[in-house]
Amino acid sequence: MARKASPARLVIALAVAAILAVFLLYTSIAGGGNPSISPSELAGRSGTVQLAGLVLGPVRGDAHADGLRFGLRDIDGEANTTVPVLYTGSVPDLFRAGRHIVVDGELRNGTFVADPGSMITKCPSKYSPSRNSGKD
Amino acid sequence: MTVALVLAALLAVAAVIVVALPFLVEPEPESDRLGELDGTERRRLEQLEARDRALAALKELEFDHRTGTITDEDYRELLGPLRREAARALQALERFGAPAADEERPEAERT
Amino acid sequence: MPELGHAALLVTFGLTAYALVAGVAAARLGRRRLAASARNALVGAFGSTLVASAVLLAALLRNDFSFTYVARTTSEALPTAYTISAFWGGQEGSLLLWLLVLTGFGAAAVLLNRRWARDLIVWVVPVFAAVAVFFSFLLVAVASPFATQQAPPDGAGMTPSLQNPYMLAHPPLLYLGYVGLTVPFAFAMAALLSGRLDERWLIATRRWTLLAWAALGIGQLLGAHWAYVEVGWGGYYAWDPVENAALMPWLAATAFLHSVMIQEKRGMLRVWNLLLVLLAFSLALFGTFLTRSGVVNSIHSFTQSSIGPWFLAFIAVTVFVSLALVFRRLPELRSPTKLESPISREAAFLYNNLLLLALCLTILWGVVYPLLSEAVRGEAVVLGRSYYDFFLRIFGLPLLLLMGIGPLIAWRRASLSSLLTTFRLPTIVALAAGAVLLALGAGSSVPGLVAYTFSAFVATTIAMEFVRGTRARKALGAASWPSAFGSLISRNRRRYGGYVVHAAIVLLAVGVAGSSAFDSVKDARLERGESMTVAGYTLTYRSLEERQVSNATEIRALLEVRRGDRELGTLKAGKNAYTIEDQLSNEVGIRSDLLTGEDLFVIAEQIGADGVVDFRVFVKPLVNLIWIAGAVFLLGSAITLWPDAREQRRLVARTQEIGLPATR
Repeated sequence: MARKASPARLVIALAVAAILAVFLLYTSIAGGGNPSISPSELAGRSGTVQLAGLVLGPVRGDAHADGLRFGLRDIDGEANTTVPVLYTGSVPDLFRAGRHIVVDGELRNGTFVADPGSMITKCPSKYSPSRNSGKD
Repeated sequence: MTVALVLAALLAVAAVIVVALPFLVEPEPESDRLGELDGTERRRLEQLEARDRALAALKELEFDHRTGTITDEDYRELLGPLRREAARALQALERFGAPAADEERPEAERT
Repeated sequence: MPELGHAALLVTFGLTAYALVAGVAAARLGRRRLAASARNALVGAFGSTLVASAVLLAALLRNDFSFTYVARTTSEALPTAYTISAFWGGQEGSLLLWLLVLTGFGAAAVLLNRRWARDLIVWVVPVFAAVAVFFSFLLVAVASPFATQQAPPDGAGMTPSLQNPYMLAHPPLLYLGYVGLTVPFAFAMAALLSGRLDERWLIATRRWTLLAWAALGIGQLLGAHWAYVEVGWGGYYAWDPVENAALMPWLAATAFLHSVMIQEKRGMLRVWNLLLVLLAFSLALFGTFLTRSGVVNSIHSFTQSSIGPWFLAFIAVTVFVSLALVFRRLPELRSPTKLESPISREAAFLYNNLLLLALCLTILWGVVYPLLSEAVRGEAVVLGRSYYDFFLRIFGLPLLLLMGIGPLIAWRRASLSSLLTTFRLPTIVALAAGAVLLALGAGSSVPGLVAYTFSAFVATTIAMEFVRGTRARKALGAASWPSAFGSLISRNRRRYGGYVVHAAIVLLAVGVAGSSAFDSVKDARLERGESMTVAGYTLTYRSLEERQVSNATEIRALLEVRRGDRELGTLKAGKNAYTIEDQLSNEVGIRSDLLTGEDLFVIAEQIGADGVVDFRVFVKPLVNLIWIAGAVFLLGSAITLWPDAREQRRLVARTQEIGLPATR
């Protein structure tokens, strides 16, 4: 009753400061995420990146044995670069040549070696503008 | 095709009627003023709400005390201010009086 | 018939535009009949949108492929139930559903509240109309469901992954949630525009907010269950942008539901509440935008569509206008009361709000970071699972604890001694539970152990409240314990319904902690007859069977399950091969243990031609508590939402006391 200034502002300020501190601490320790790039931008890059592209056949190998091998190309199709990918781990059902996928990994000796199980395929578009055949 | 157009036309007509309805039902009303609250009514509503809020707070304090959420000492401490607030709200209402009595009150008290 | 549909949408656009203009004029000039006319227009807009929806639905049901939309989303062979779900399965149809729910809620909100919130309603109408104008404009000019074409012999069909019961419930529920948040937003804007800045707009919209929030919550749980059993990658939440799109408004709405209680009881946080409801609504719009613009990489995301920029523009305008209105009224929004102590129920709710908001904004940051980094550095950087998991723990665990503290602290000011008395039992129970769990091996995951301990604390406080409340009612003269319990809940619906919801969150926390912090996973390649062991279970791969059903070939691997020397039956896992769509779908095998809530989760990752199968097996402790939490959540929401006749009477009595005319 005797106190005039309300502690509310102080409480909020301290809380916000605490939250910001946690946030900054995390980002400085754990670092940011992975850059998301397309195959044509991969050349010469080091470190873990996320590659987003179009799957090119032929798809060979066994993801649960020595590894699945396929090619990945830019979605837009402007660039001609195809990156060879070696993938191990779970393969999503929708995976096939012609699908858009996203996969994390690292370029090693000219092959993009994927982190096991990091592949995500995109659901066939249901919100896209209509196309002629409708078959994806 | 023509069925669709007829139905569409009907829909458009219905829309116009629906929108014009208040004007058609009352072509020459006594008052077209939106029944908004004037200053005194608004003040009274606020006081009623203040009273209800104070009484509800008292009720909640009782409930919390009875269920043991609030200890006896906390209860004693909090009861006083809440009681005073409720009393203030009730007094303000009484002083203000019923809407009909507003005419007698001095201009200064009206908002 | 498409002409009728298109015309109906044009009528909707006209009516909502009229409602907007006439509504503003009527409110500013104080014209009663014009206000009624604007209100009628809004209600009429629901009617015409209903007509448009009926046209689309009829076209879907009779497989009219001259409608481009119908041809794109269905086929002759598609079962009727899924044909209906195609209504919201595509871009244009889902926008129409949005508009239908929007105009429906708008009509209901203005009609139900017209007796006692008249000074607000007169402004609610144009605000609602403004949102409806946007959506009807999109439907008329940018994304019409009624485009026509030369009818092909058959439609393109629906992706097999969408052909399941979840598609019937999950999107509509989310839409109820997103659109439902428009109601409190509209009333908030009406409060700012009319100058009625007190608690009136909160009370008018309380149930709407609860309804929207509950729908969003259940919708998300359904989505999680869908991901778990149908998509079957072994989890239920991937922090995918589209998943986050629904979580963010839900978190903001949760914060809002709590802070309104402070404003109602103490008149504080007026500006805060206005900003919160604006945030929740903007996030709902943003979520709608995220799911259909293809702007962010997502497993759900769809190709770039023309809708995106319109949405962004609308969100920007909404935020700008709303903030301007708040700023204009800032002097009048000063609270009459102040926070008295950092240890009080108000303060606890404030901390709750700050934590929820922090979590919400962290998720928002994670979602937009790729876009921002691309704009700033030319390269999109994606934040992974570890980012989200970290902040979920940092903010979520204290939030969990707070859930047990808040309800038991007094308003205004709580003394330390009272805290010690009140929290003695829950603390003891929590520490004891923690010690027991530690002994059982839960120390393997510190966040998991903390989650369990906090959950024990909160569960004890909830139980205490119910026990003490029932005892108090019995002391007041209730006939029996059950009737004391019943009357306790029926007389304090908000409070005890809220406790039930808190109990659901505790179950959710325990389920999530168990299945993510204490789970086991193992991969193995098995030939027929071989076995693998995971967390005490032994699975033996016996045989592979194939079966033809109407539109697919079902391939299943049969496994025998044992734990120790107990036979636990068999489990099947495999794939479906859909002939027409030429796609495979994952069909996981799940064995739920009724006693422990644990799941044995088997994925047949890869089936070789020689019958050699690569299996991935998860053991997920306590995961079924998550789904049970959904049911409890539903119960709690229903209790709080239940109409209270006593409260209604009081509200009406108040308006009568001032002598307001009863109707019009």
